[in-house]
Amino acid sequence: MDVLRFALRKLLAGVPLILGVTLLSFTLMVHFGPDRTFELLGKNPTTEQIAELRHQLGYDQPFLLRYGQYLRELLTLDFGHSDATGEKVASLLARSIPVSLALVLPGFVLGNLLGVALALLAASCRGRWPDRLIMAAAVFGMSISFLVVIFVFQIWFCTSHGLDLFPVRGWGMADVPDYLRHVTVPTLAVVFVALGYNTRFYRAVIVEEMERDHVRTARAFGSPPLRLFCRDILKNCAIPIITRITFTIPAIVIGGALLLETSFGIPGAGKVTYEAIISGDQPVLKAVVGLTAMLFVAALLVADILYRVVDPRVSLE
Amino acid sequence: MAGTALLSVRNLTVEFDGRAGRLRAVDAISFDVLAEETLALVGESGCGKTVTGLSLLRLVPQPPGHIVAGEVLLDGEDLLALPERALRRLRGRDIAMIFQEPMTALNPVFSIGAQLGTVLRRHQGLSRRAARARALELLEQVGIPEPARRIDEYPHQLSGGQRQRVMIAMALSCGPRLLVADEPTTALDVTTQAQVLAEIGRLQRELRMAMILVTHDLGIVAESCDRAAVMYCGRIVEMRTTAALFSTPHHPYTVGLLEAIPRIREERLADLPVIPGRVPDLAQLPAGCHFAARCPRATDLCREVVPAPLPTADGGLVACHHPYP
Ligand SMILES: Nc1ncnc2c1ncn2[C@@H]1O[C@H](COP(=O)(O)OP(=O)(O)OP(=O)(O)O)[C@@H](O)[C@H]1O
Ligand code: SF4
Ligand SMILES: [Mg+2]
Repeated sequence: MDVLRFALRKLLAGVPLILGVTLLSFTLMVHFGPDRTFELLGKNPTTEQIAELRHQLGYDQPFLLRYGQYLRELLTLDFGHSDATGEKVASLLARSIPVSLALVLPGFVLGNLLGVALALLAASCRGRWPDRLIMAAAVFGMSISFLVVIFVFQIWFCTSHGLDLFPVRGWGMADVPDYLRHVTVPTLAVVFVALGYNTRFYRAVIVEEMERDHVRTARAFGSPPLRLFCRDILKNCAIPIITRITFTIPAIVIGGALLLETSFGIPGAGKVTYEAIISGDQPVLKAVVGLTAMLFVAALLVADILYRVVDPRVSLE
Repeated sequence: MAGTALLSVRNLTVEFDGRAGRLRAVDAISFDVLAEETLALVGESGCGKTVTGLSLLRLVPQPPGHIVAGEVLLDGEDLLALPERALRRLRGRDIAMIFQEPMTALNPVFSIGAQLGTVLRRHQGLSRRAARARALELLEQVGIPEPARRIDEYPHQLSGGQRQRVMIAMALSCGPRLLVADEPTTALDVTTQAQVLAEIGRLQRELRMAMILVTHDLGIVAESCDRAAVMYCGRIVEMRTTAALFSTPHHPYTVGLLEAIPRIREERLADLPVIPGRVPDLAQLPAGCHFAARCPRATDLCREVVPAPLPTADGGLVACHHPYP
């Protein structure tokens, strides 16, 4: 009950945040975004034609009114039709966002789980060879560009130069084998790239926690290493871990998958966004920007609630 | 059964890697703790009291610390040579430790009931329920008001004194034979200090435990300890029964400490140094006696040769070339 009330309050506190972010991005879009007038009218339009079209497009309306319309679009999730394809923006996103999620989530989850596990292992052997080995591997992984990883993995897993086990491009989620066939190589690439960063970050968090007095107390009372690291220490590290995870999610849902989607020819939200930017497809851009802002606020809320769950010192007030 | 040594520390030497190279925080110290007795470990800040206490259970942070030599014999068994697993079974069960910093010594994200229960289940093999019941009893015993409510609270909801009481409850939970209390009251306010000390003393007698009480408060030594070991720069310079130490201190450092008691009380405002001079930097210790630079009786011999601990007439020890009679 307390948690529910807390969530509601946080949600309300999120409203001004959403307003601020959307207002800012809407202003930027209106002033610097694409103006379709001349694109539609060709080379030598008359003044009347221009005025007429601008009226049709709604460009002549007062700023606040247009912003209000934008907010209504966000609330109803009805963003009109894509300028480029004429498809409804809502259905375009409903089609592409699940693909992005299905594409990125396995790698994201694995990358974080493995990162925490390796970080625990490294921290518990701090200064000894397993630690050095893991950290050296992490730096190696971090220093290779995502694009290179993708290409190497494609050649290695998907062509006759290597194992030739998976398709190079394309997407499918018809059934589980189909999904696995398409998601495996991108997942491996994501894990490879994220693992180094995650491991280093989580190890730093864990090592800092290891030096706290309560860890010494636990050892003084006979806590075995597995319990010490996976319970006594890990629960104390939960806040930075939750923060990192929740705040990466909005980014990967919308933009983060772009490189993967273009390299593997996957019709996800990253690609939709990219194409909308290139073609100046305002309805789509407005939707993406607004949804990203809302997703971030949601992440903030989820993180706040989780903080309370893992750390009794964080009060609900 | 006073008289037999429960714990024998022999030649314990602990070093730390630091920016200025290796420094020796504990330098070849030896002492015994008899069954049921209270041994005080006294000395100025940084003289190695905590490190000595931690070494007994091999809890010195490693790196940067290293126990480079010595034996810690509990009933004849060397804890420093014990495999990690065997040592874990002993920690908290045979030797328990209370720490200097009550505010941070407990885990902030688990309730105190959970933390007590964990230790009870581990060492006493109690079920979850039995452990909780026992934890309640223990909280009651150490004087926590409303234990039934407190047991589900988290450390941040308790005052410093209450947290230290929880630590005491945890330390006593498995009936250890030796309690190492590292300045258990330094971080507390004066009234709470007295209460907590009295509590520890009462429980010690009830459970017939031996105790090493680390402190730099000579008042506490006089009140509640049988013997005292005075430490200076990682070495024990004098170890006597409390009565003997206070009536006829032999070591010039002990004499300085004792003289400082009334001076601190009367002339606090004058801001006089307790003993003239400063504690030397552990990274640049002088050869010979570490106290020589501050000692009124120092001679050339002192600056060259380390004074060996020699037995005194009353069965104590003093490490000084020119002790007071
Ligand atoms: N974690 C550590 N890293 C490096 N050096 C340390 C560490 N812990 C202790 N030392 C060194 O060991 C010396 C003794 O420290 P110790 O904590 O035992 O002092 P103490 O007698 O308990 O002092 P206090 O009264 O302030 O608690 C210190 O001077 C310090 O140089
Ligand atoms: S050995 Fe010498 S310098 Fe050291 S305490 Fe004794 S008299 Fe003083
Ligand atoms: Mg100390």
